[in-house]
Amino acid sequence: MASPGGQGGGALSTRGGARRMKWALELSLGNTRTRGDRQGGQGDVVYPIGYSEKPVPDTSIQETDKNLVEKRCWDVALGPLKQIPMNLFIMYMSGNTISIFPIMMVCMMAWRPIQALMSMSATFKLLESSSQQWLQGLVYLVGNLLGSALAIYKCQSMGLLPTHSSDWLAFIEPPQRMEIMGGGMVL
Amino acid sequence: MAKLNLLWLKCIISFSAVQAVFEDQVGKFDWRQQYVGKVRFSHFDTHMQSSKKVLLATENNVFAALNTRTGELFWRHVDKTGPEGNIDAHLQHGQDAVLVVGNGRLLRSWDVNVGGLNWEVVLDSGRFQSACLVGQQGTAKYVAVLKKTTFSLHYMSNGHQKWIENLPESETVDYQAVYSGGNKDVYVLGVVPHSHIAVVVYSVDDGEIMKQTSVEAPWLSDIPTSCAVVGKGTLTCVDSTTMSLYTLDLHEQSQMTQIPLQSLGLEVAEGFHPSLVAHKPHPAHQPRSEFFLQLEADRYLLLQLNNGEITTLRDFKPAVLVSFATTGEKTVAAVMSPKNKTACIINLYNAETGRRLLDTTLISTVDPNGGKPERLYVQAFLKKDDSVGYRVMVQMEDHTLTFIQQPGRVMWTREEALSDVVTMEMVDLPLTGTQAELEGEFGKKADGLLSMVLKRLSSQLILLQAWVSHLWKLFYDARKPRSQVKNDITIENLSRDEFNLQKMMVMVTASGKLFGIDSKTGGILWKHYLENIPPNAAFKLMVQRTTAHFPHPPQCTLLIKDKDTGLATLHVFNPIFGKRSHVTPPALPQPILQSLLLPLMDQDYAKVLLLIDDQYKVSAFPSTKNVLQQLQEMASSIFFFLVDSTQGRLSGYRLRTDLSTEQIWEVVMPAEIQKIVSVRGKRPNEHVHSQGRVMGDRSVLYKYLNPNLLAVVTESTDLHHERSFIGILLIDGVTGRIIHEAVQRKAKGPVHVVHSENWVVYEYWSTKSRRNEFSVIELYEGMELYNSTVFSSLDRPHVPQVLQQSYIFPSSISTMEATLTEKGITSRHLLVGLPSGGILSLPKMFLDPRRPEIVTEQSREENLIPYAPELIIRTEWFINYNQTVSRVRGIYTAPSGLESTCLVVAYGLDIYQTRVYPSKQFDVLKDDYDYMLISSVLLALFFATMISKRLAEVKLLNRAWR
Repeated sequence: MASPGGQGGGALSTRGGARRMKWALELSLGNTRTRGDRQGGQGDVVYPIGYSEKPVPDTSIQETDKNLVEKRCWDVALGPLKQIPMNLFIMYMSGNTISIFPIMMVCMMAWRPIQALMSMSATFKLLESSSQQWLQGLVYLVGNLLGSALAIYKCQSMGLLPTHSSDWLAFIEPPQRMEIMGGGMVL
Repeated sequence: MAKLNLLWLKCIISFSAVQAVFEDQVGKFDWRQQYVGKVRFSHFDTHMQSSKKVLLATENNVFAALNTRTGELFWRHVDKTGPEGNIDAHLQHGQDAVLVVGNGRLLRSWDVNVGGLNWEVVLDSGRFQSACLVGQQGTAKYVAVLKKTTFSLHYMSNGHQKWIENLPESETVDYQAVYSGGNKDVYVLGVVPHSHIAVVVYSVDDGEIMKQTSVEAPWLSDIPTSCAVVGKGTLTCVDSTTMSLYTLDLHEQSQMTQIPLQSLGLEVAEGFHPSLVAHKPHPAHQPRSEFFLQLEADRYLLLQLNNGEITTLRDFKPAVLVSFATTGEKTVAAVMSPKNKTACIINLYNAETGRRLLDTTLISTVDPNGGKPERLYVQAFLKKDDSVGYRVMVQMEDHTLTFIQQPGRVMWTREEALSDVVTMEMVDLPLTGTQAELEGEFGKKADGLLSMVLKRLSSQLILLQAWVSHLWKLFYDARKPRSQVKNDITIENLSRDEFNLQKMMVMVTASGKLFGIDSKTGGILWKHYLENIPPNAAFKLMVQRTTAHFPHPPQCTLLIKDKDTGLATLHVFNPIFGKRSHVTPPALPQPILQSLLLPLMDQDYAKVLLLIDDQYKVSAFPSTKNVLQQLQEMASSIFFFLVDSTQGRLSGYRLRTDLSTEQIWEVVMPAEIQKIVSVRGKRPNEHVHSQGRVMGDRSVLYKYLNPNLLAVVTESTDLHHERSFIGILLIDGVTGRIIHEAVQRKAKGPVHVVHSENWVVYEYWSTKSRRNEFSVIELYEGMELYNSTVFSSLDRPHVPQVLQQSYIFPSSISTMEATLTEKGITSRHLLVGLPSGGILSLPKMFLDPRRPEIVTEQSREENLIPYAPELIIRTEWFINYNQTVSRVRGIYTAPSGLESTCLVVAYGLDIYQTRVYPSKQFDVLKDDYDYMLISSVLLALFFATMISKRLAEVKLLNRAWR
């Protein structure tokens, strides 16, 4: 099961370059070149070829795997929510001035949830194997929405949203004149 | 805090637009023309044979020397305006020019070579009568000045007074003339009208009265108009009532000798006042014994006085103008006689014999659109073969000076009428010259559908052709080096440039001459002299149709009103060619009070002009059926106001459908307390882009943009510095509602006002602090708009918020105007003409009543400069760098096709045209933009990408093979 170059590699090494061989077995002990790899205490223990020190996991399907899938899916679903504290911190750090870095941050913050929402179907496929698929999907959605709401709030606090009347000032047409008036000093 | 404020201010200033031009931009888009005004005295500088100067003393109180070869100014001295700087006399001897200035207040001597002042002395008070040079032993040594009661003699070298004497019997005798024959006596001639002539002879050495005689002359009332000293000191007079010449030998006789004109075989024309023209070649010598007698408007006689006998040398008829000239020992007489409608002939005659000199004919062309010749100045010189050559300077009725050389080559022409521009307009040029030419043919009414379609098609075809040829020309010119491209603009190749930066300046001058000037080069493209303009006429120039309505020709209308009679005439003309329009203006039998240009158009796209007569009846021009119908429909919304400043009355009128009017409001200012000095409305072509101002908290403060608002300025009649005041009244011209009223106590005029958008800026003299102050009023509607779609003065219940702030200005000002741009997006500047001749571009940002005293976060957000009472004059703000504009009387601003650019014309004695960029040139690439570098870099990058792409492909292929 273990590869030839695995843990038993102490006795077995590939030395392609020097002797132009694909591989070679070194059966003699006390090879100084490989000593450094060995651990101090077990220096003299010799393992047979193919022996692995690690226990080999049991690959047959068991009950506990179901829980693992469940856990993994929850991880995916809760991902956006976990991002929020981090985003809040970044928001606080970047401040409200309009310059290149805060703008980049805001763009990233806004773009990521949008991207996630656009690829919703792919995420759902990922969650297909879970039993609580719908709940997880909902949590994922809420997390992303919260993320984008945060981005919008940031835009608002930076003054990037056209929410004030001054933002629409340029679109006001000059009023039409109802009366015609003229005259002046008597010539 | 103050330091912080200062720092903040500095920041603002350094970021605000820098106005000054770069050195290599000088003269690139600006030009100046200097004028002197209507010539009163003129002398050729003859002290050197090679001199090229002609000296001019003008009615605009200017003394200048012109180059006779080019007509350009050598130097010019501009004195005070009004009677204080009035030039009363100009005496010329050698390289000194002696002027009597300010009604005999000052005596000045100028060095004509460099224009420097030799000396200046203050004369004793008294009305100036006459002055003359007194010579002895062949040179002029003294200047004699005759005043009402005194007679004084001054040294020519330093101006010091040699002696001053009181004139005998000065209460009864009116002393009017001085004569010196070059010996030890100087004669003062006075007259008691219709009684006798008083002759007083003074000794030059000590001012002692040598002789005093009184000669009977009951027919004489004024010496300078009817008498002249001729020959060896013989006073010769002409009288039209007795039809006689009178002679009096000043040395010995005490009785006048009467010579009836009939004895000479002459007759005076009915009602004509005959006059004499004598000549005195040198101040230290005696006058010539030959003189001209003018008997009719076009008849002159060359007469000779010989031992008391008068003989006729030659009779000139028709002759328009005559003049004498002396060079060396020879004296010639030049006579100008009309040839035909467009030319005059000038001939030289030997003064002693009256014989015509050979090869001295000079033909001077007379502009049919100009005035008649008025005066003739002759510069005679001796040629190598000892014959007399000459050049003439002709002064026309329209103040034009023309310098002509034999046989008729015009060396230069100066349009001195332009020194007195009254009003002007800028008109867009037609798209192409061909189009403009077509307008004449297509301007007339077409009849029938087919012919109209054909005309339209053919005109479009011609337009296309013109466009193609224009493109071809552009292409052709682009290949030539820049220096070879001809830049002379003539009336044929006039066409609008890409950004409409070149316009036609239509200028109206006080003399009644109209000019069309190319705004790019300053060249005069057309001129038209209107005859019989009264001297105190009021002008109003209106553009009725612009060039936008091809094929109808553009049309300007000039309203000329005689202030004495009140009668007005209309002159309708094409502003591009200056030709009188074929549209006949209506006859106006009634005195006209005001005119009003409506935005309504007739079917030929001419705006309708309403004229209000003294019966408050209205007549329309053009008055076609269509127009009258439109007027009837619109009558209820047409209002006008009249301001009578003598009675202090403002009144508003409404138009009725039958073109009569009814008064709807009246505001009376008590004329004995204050008088209305000016009323300013808004300019009709002004656009305001932004309807409000953004506050620090990002809310909007809406502007009160009332198009009918008038700013009325009054000044108190009491001029005592403690009680004088000026008042400013903002009044709605439709309803007569007073929006705001402010009185500035202890302030005095003259008040200069600019009214634009939602603000009024005015400048006055504060008698309390003795300084010039600016004040600005801004009007705001508040945080809410009452009605954002229509503005009606009749429906505005809320009173606007009024903000006001004042500032100290370090200089007095001559005139003020605001910049104007196409869409009103660019920030505004005030253009201030200073008496020093500078034109200052003052950002309106500095005149903002919202400038805070304490800086807050919000005001900083708004970019408000903290309030500082002093307005500083920064030298970069002078838009005319060193091109001083003398006596600026008005500034005209016009928008160009570029939003960033405003065209400016300052006029006064000089004319200066330039462009200003209040918010810098945000829509144009800079002049020194490196097209070559940018395009070569782009090309290089393009090729680099191509090559690297190819290389990358090769590399990928190689890797795949490995």
